[in-house]
Amino acid sequence: MGSKARVERKGASSGNPVRDSALGLVPETLDHYLRLNSLVWESGPLGPAELEIARLRNARKVGCVFCKSVRYDIARSDGLSEERVGMIDDQFMHSALSAREKAIIAFTDQYLDDPSGMPASLRDELAALFSAEELLHLSLAIAHFNGFSRCAVSLGGMPDELPVMEIPLPQ
Amino acid sequence: MHSFAHDASAQTASPGPPYVERLEQALPNLFAAHQQLYRSLWQQAHVPPAILELCRLRLAQLHRSEADWTREEHALAPGMREQLARWHESEAFDDAARACIAFAEVYAMDASAISDAQAQAVQSHYGDAGLVLLIEALGLFDGMTRLNLLWRSPPAAQGDHTTPERGEASDGQ
Repeated sequence: MGSKARVERKGASSGNPVRDSALGLVPETLDHYLRLNSLVWESGPLGPAELEIARLRNARKVGCVFCKSVRYDIARSDGLSEERVGMIDDQFMHSALSAREKAIIAFTDQYLDDPSGMPASLRDELAALFSAEELLHLSLAIAHFNGFSRCAVSLGGMPDELPVMEIPLPQ
Repeated sequence: MHSFAHDASAQTASPGPPYVERLEQALPNLFAAHQQLYRSLWQQAHVPPAILELCRLRLAQLHRSEADWTREEHALAPGMREQLARWHESEAFDDAARACIAFAEVYAMDASAISDAQAQAVQSHYGDAGLVLLIEALGLFDGMTRLNLLWRSPPAAQGDHTTPERGEASDGQ
């Protein structure tokens, strides 16, 4: 990738990576975006570790280097180790991840690859493993993560590689 | 409440309530926050709502989502909806609309395939903030479309628009 950033945001230094990004050029949406982001992580029935699995799977498939490099501290505190993060690859079905974690990855893939074609087997598996509220939450979270990562890719300037960075949730 | 599980139990299950209605009933805080963000897209000063509506509908066509195609967020000039699938050969769309629809098509397929020229075409009409707003909007539109397909949301109750004609995605040139 490695293209030049299509939008430069000069002079922004709030310390908040989202507010200082190109998203800060649209103040009409910025606070609403950050509020939704906070609630996705902190207000739904799924915990941060499971949400982080969906976020990282999405980041991997979209190819967002920024998103792939980030680890939210709340997810690590919730038990998501780097060893488990390493299992979110294409061999995930044969990994030591739990049945719920594997289903989260499969659901994320379905959202990304073929949202209208979910097989009955996956629907039944999800129904057995999650409550309706959890699936509604997971669905919104994946949509939110995907929108953010596509935004980062669309704006250009993506480096080829970044080190893993643990950060707090942007507010 | 219809659960995903209930609807999932049969491949031939009829559509349940739209995804957003289920979300509102089960997780009202998340629903409200999502709606506030969504509404803010239509109340900003960077990209006209008619342009956003064209892009939203183009994504609905490409994803073949009746739930999104039959909904109307902003009234369009007569004929625009009908000609949207063939926008690249229609005179109904000005250069600004064409730049944004072309950008939306590539975004829907592969955001990493967006070219600098396609981004600059949007910026030439709506500036840096307009490009950012358009990208944000496409994220929400694409997300809602995928969620409606995933949850089998039905077409809009008052919708008077028939099944979307997909057309062919242009190369944006």
